[in-house]
Amino acid sequence: MRRIHTRNLLLALVISATLFIPASAQRLINTDVKNSPVKLTLPVKDGSVRFAAIGDTGSGSSAQREVGTTMAQYHAVFPFEFVLMMGDNMYGGEAPKDFEKKFSGPYKALLDYKVKFYASLGNHDQALQTNYTNFNMNGKEYYRFKKGNVAFYALNSNYMDKKQVAWLESELAKDTSEWKVCFFHHPPYSSAKSHGSDSQLREVVEPIFIKYGVNVVLTGHDHVYERIKPQKGIYYFVSGAGGKLRAGDIKDASPITEKSYDRDLHFMLFEVSGDQMYFQAISRTGQTIDSGIIARAKKREG
Amino acid sequence: MKLQKCCKYLCVVVCALLSTSAVAQNNQALAPPAVISAADKTTIQTFEKQVKEYVDLRNKVKENAPKLSKDSTPEQIHAYRTALEQSLRSARAGAKRGELFRPETADYIRRTLKIEFQGKDRQQLRETIFETETQGVVLRVNHPYAQTAEFSEMPATLLAKLPQLPKEVRYRFVGRNMLLVDRESNVIIDYMPEALP
Repeated sequence: MRRIHTRNLLLALVISATLFIPASAQRLINTDVKNSPVKLTLPVKDGSVRFAAIGDTGSGSSAQREVGTTMAQYHAVFPFEFVLMMGDNMYGGEAPKDFEKKFSGPYKALLDYKVKFYASLGNHDQALQTNYTNFNMNGKEYYRFKKGNVAFYALNSNYMDKKQVAWLESELAKDTSEWKVCFFHHPPYSSAKSHGSDSQLREVVEPIFIKYGVNVVLTGHDHVYERIKPQKGIYYFVSGAGGKLRAGDIKDASPITEKSYDRDLHFMLFEVSGDQMYFQAISRTGQTIDSGIIARAKKREG
Repeated sequence: MKLQKCCKYLCVVVCALLSTSAVAQNNQALAPPAVISAADKTTIQTFEKQVKEYVDLRNKVKENAPKLSKDSTPEQIHAYRTALEQSLRSARAGAKRGELFRPETADYIRRTLKIEFQGKDRQQLRETIFETETQGVVLRVNHPYAQTAEFSEMPATLLAKLPQLPKEVRYRFVGRNMLLVDRESNVIIDYMPEALP
């Protein structure tokens, strides 16, 4: 059980109490951010793997900082252990002051709570981010780590060369984890007008994902939220508005969209318990924009 | 009962076939050009040798830069990058365009890219490369790639067809131009204009 900081104890108790009130009667709780309602849809089960995900964050804008504040508020009621970053961790310069402005400042509260961030690289990121202590990349552009029954694969979709493809295939081939989650920058599927689906990347990685039973893929690049209809048994999310937004960028009536949101910045929360993965997408102001449960498919034969 | 067993076997066979076809498709996407002439093989080998010589040089001058651990602070990263960039630039002072992308290498790469751009994904390839905002990048050998500019995504299918590079060196596109860039310092090692059709 994670120790809750005294400063947030009262807030956590009040909010936790509201979780047991029927949704219809639930009141929105205002916290530090003006008009920020904290409404958790995740079950917070004992022993579950809990994490957050953010993409395209590093603008250093006040809106990015507000997302960081809202994440910290949700952390008080949903103590996630780590955060996945889907790239574009820093736009523009990468001088020491930029790291503060675009990363350690906006997420200070989470860093203070010892929440770990695991980064992947986007098209705006310099290679040496791999050596930044708070990105936990261990000097590598692609890497794997495991939490409970979930294996996480950070990939560098900006430079998917043969070496990386071979590494991914060999790691997945020996991976016996119940859940396999890949996170990287460019979306194999996206309904955004700006970039859209990266079919070149998809052509190379999707057969590997299918072959080795990857369950969930988290990406960014398009500055919107989109949950893609399951493609060949895989759940794809585009979560690329952690610090930059392209309002109105989602194509109308895209056949691959299950749910989308392009009106504000957002982040995501996940909880994995046994064969179920719960997810919640939350706007900068704390509104739930999507939520649901993914049931783990049985391993494919052959 | 027999029918059930048959169906089961059929399912397994279909799954196996599907899986094989998926992997075959993957392998096809990453396969090198089908036929490489003896002359092209020599060209590729020469290019790879020159790249290796560059890497040997950069690893030697890297010794002048402060050591960078896997859990560095922003200040340490900045100091390392700056020192590496300066050391590399002075070690290669006077480097000129075309020293690695020699005419025969450039010709091979242009032909390879042209073939790739004739495929069904031509439009998607173009969009992937040309949507990149590279304003501020000055095409100049031995000068750094502007830190404020983004990197073009290098499509996996293209990378598979180009001569393979060691981890210290990267291909990049800036518009139709192709660059060879040092991965850590972002110093432009060489570039070839109008590489893309």
